[in-house]
Amino acid sequence: MTKDTSMTKDTGKTIIKTKDVKKWFGDFQALDGISMEIEEKEVVVICGPSGSGKSTFIRCINRLEQHQEGDIVVDGIELTNDLKNIDAIRSEVGMVFQSFNLFPHLTVMQNITLAPIWVRKKTRTDSEKKAMELLERVGIPEQAEKFPGQLSGGQQQRVAIARALAMEPKIMLFDEPTSALDPEMIKEVLDVMKELAESGMTMIVVTHEMGFAQEVADRIIFFDEGKLVEQNNPHDFFNNPKSDRTKLFLSQIL
Amino acid sequence: MNFIENKQLRWLRDNLFSSVGSAVISLITLYMLAGMYRGTVGFILSPMRKWTAVTYNMQLYMIFNYAEGDSWRAWASVGVALFLIGVTLGYWNSGEKSSFKSISNGLFKVFTTLTLLVLIAPRETEVMNNDGSRSMVEVISSSQRISFLIPVAVLALFSFVLTRMNIEMSFNRTKTIIFYLGFLVLSGWIIKVPTVTFDASGNRILPDVYLPVATTTTIPWTILYGVLWVSLFIGLFLQKKGLKPLKRIIPITWVILPLYLFSWLYKKPLIELDKVFTNDVPGVLIFWAIGFLIIRYITNEKFMQYRNYLTSGFLLVTASILFLRIPFLFKVLTFSVVLLLLVAPAIANTDEGKRNLLLIWIVAIAVIAFLLRGSGSPTGIVTPTGSFLGGFSLTWVLAIFGTYVSFPFGVMLALGRTSNLPLVRVICTGIIEIVRSVPYITWLFFASVMLTVFMPEGVEFNLIVRVLIVTAFFSGAYFAENIRGGLQSIPKGQYEAANAIGMNPFQRISLIVLPQALRAIIPTLVSSIITAFKDSSLVAIIGLFDTLRIGSAVIPTQSSPVNFVGTQLDNLLFIALFYWVFCFIFSRRTMKIEKKLGLGER
Repeated sequence: MTKDTSMTKDTGKTIIKTKDVKKWFGDFQALDGISMEIEEKEVVVICGPSGSGKSTFIRCINRLEQHQEGDIVVDGIELTNDLKNIDAIRSEVGMVFQSFNLFPHLTVMQNITLAPIWVRKKTRTDSEKKAMELLERVGIPEQAEKFPGQLSGGQQQRVAIARALAMEPKIMLFDEPTSALDPEMIKEVLDVMKELAESGMTMIVVTHEMGFAQEVADRIIFFDEGKLVEQNNPHDFFNNPKSDRTKLFLSQIL
Repeated sequence: MNFIENKQLRWLRDNLFSSVGSAVISLITLYMLAGMYRGTVGFILSPMRKWTAVTYNMQLYMIFNYAEGDSWRAWASVGVALFLIGVTLGYWNSGEKSSFKSISNGLFKVFTTLTLLVLIAPRETEVMNNDGSRSMVEVISSSQRISFLIPVAVLALFSFVLTRMNIEMSFNRTKTIIFYLGFLVLSGWIIKVPTVTFDASGNRILPDVYLPVATTTTIPWTILYGVLWVSLFIGLFLQKKGLKPLKRIIPITWVILPLYLFSWLYKKPLIELDKVFTNDVPGVLIFWAIGFLIIRYITNEKFMQYRNYLTSGFLLVTASILFLRIPFLFKVLTFSVVLLLLVAPAIANTDEGKRNLLLIWIVAIAVIAFLLRGSGSPTGIVTPTGSFLGGFSLTWVLAIFGTYVSFPFGVMLALGRTSNLPLVRVICTGIIEIVRSVPYITWLFFASVMLTVFMPEGVEFNLIVRVLIVTAFFSGAYFAENIRGGLQSIPKGQYEAANAIGMNPFQRISLIVLPQALRAIIPTLVSSIITAFKDSSLVAIIGLFDTLRIGSAVIPTQSSPVNFVGTQLDNLLFIALFYWVFCFIFSRRTMKIEKKLGLGER
């Protein structure tokens, strides 16, 4: 797969670089030689049929899954078995999950301030101030003292975004953030993500929301059977797909 | 009928008499319950019962043969525990209020029930005569019944009037509960109980005289009750002041307290002063100096080069003096220096860190020296049977201390068994499986007979301490399996989320996984703790005198100075009540906690 840099917006330095990444689950090959580069402030949407390895790929970036072959370099740090490197990368990379994964025993405020206090060793007052700012940014400052179980799905996902942002990451990974939500709640989450993209965050989003991809993405990547089949800017991706597999996929979902 | 609240009438109709069938069942059940109640009361009041066997032996029940002159230690340890309870209740007071309405409703229910119970109490009960024939004996005379009935009925009416009044008042719930406890203490001063008394020539006066409870019981309890109030107000005051450090200090004190109280009851060290001056004081001074030098120069560049050599050197010294005949204190302190050398670079990198570390070092060395001197000295508490506790105090020590030790141990075993490290996993699984596969009684025999064989020469533990050691292992293994169940109930996503925000394994376990896992298994934990509490009565098998053994074997064989032969029934009923009351209170309290924690769960 050759990389066409002219399609991406010119923002300077490369922040994520993967080379020939391979991963197997037992006999099943989930990733088959993924090579790509992502630049700072770029918004990349990864789509593809289920089981195509897109989630596995972004989970490899912060070592929730371990790749078996190839190199992953995040912000100049190579992802190896060295725990120091893994910790360093994890503190650079925020992640939002499909099933929110908020901590049910902690309030919204505690969910957000937990990592800054314990991992970044900030004071409680500072982190709480920052958390309130983030909650305002995602539009739910009034829910700070509630428990996750008392919030709607969309609100929970916005808290999850605020929790990831509280670590002040350089990169945000979104693993199907809207797949578990009711249709009317999808919009509120996508709005937050849009705002985040406009503020210049580097984002990798695995999603089926093609409207979002068209509007926000700088580049769309299509995965199938663990391979990177096609990547292009949104306009060309939707109007002028190159491979037959992409055409078939687009015809099924659009 | 309109003087009874309609709500209650409706409840009766909806729940007990909703159909002909359910009305019949309700009536039959009520009749059976009343019969059981009448039978029990008749049994309790029967002239065949000798309740003086219980009241006369209360001291035996409480502290067994703990040296009488030192019994203030037992009182004081209860006092210290109550003080901490009071401060905790005050400092963490939720400010929950009981409204006047709910209090008067509660009182109304209690007094109407009491009135009803007095009304249906049996007039007479069946007793067996000496020749084996049975006859009926009056247990409650009409005049007695009326003298009980009038006050409770008046109180019921009074509380009914209170429920009808519209008073907008509310009281702090904690204060209300402690206020109610006051009636228990007050009753100690008012109620007269049959007491065993002797005339001048030492013969028992029969029938027993009704006397107030001895002041040696009532005065300490009154003082303890006062302590509870005072400490509650101290706690409330501290809460108002909002002292942050207390948030940590109080839980730490709770962890240390059982250890402290146990050692307090265990030993009154007769410290030999000459040994203190020739051994402890120089030792402490030398190691204070060594610690000061290390902390002072640890950040020095030149010193840093030799740090590893120094650490290994001290480790070698520790190993080599381990078997020498030098005071144990020096061995422990040399090893502490190794630990200091390991942790100092991480903590003493700022001036503040150095100051804190030095403070910790000074306190720790002094405490270690004090504890070692204390444990090495002979005890001044002399008890005839060798086991220094018995009765309630033994039951409590075994239950509380067993839980305190075995719970953290169980947590560690559970985490070890779910660990990724194969060696840790195998060891923890091995411990759990070995301990669980052998009956508790076998472990108790192991404690009483075998454990001393495994100890190094010269080290000897009291039987109670040995029992605590095996209990820690035994209930620890059970706790571990419960906790493992809780750990498995945590979804994988929680681990991933904790990883994704950069937590290290320790933070992940202590902040995310364990709090959720423990909450999920509170009901099982409660029943484990209740089981441990009741199982403590098994120690009777290896010769300890727990509550049950005192009641079933010791008191019923007393023949002098008072003849209590054959009073098993009375004593066992009393013990059953004792176990029931505490288990019931415990399970009710934890149900409340469960409800509180359940807030905001998925």
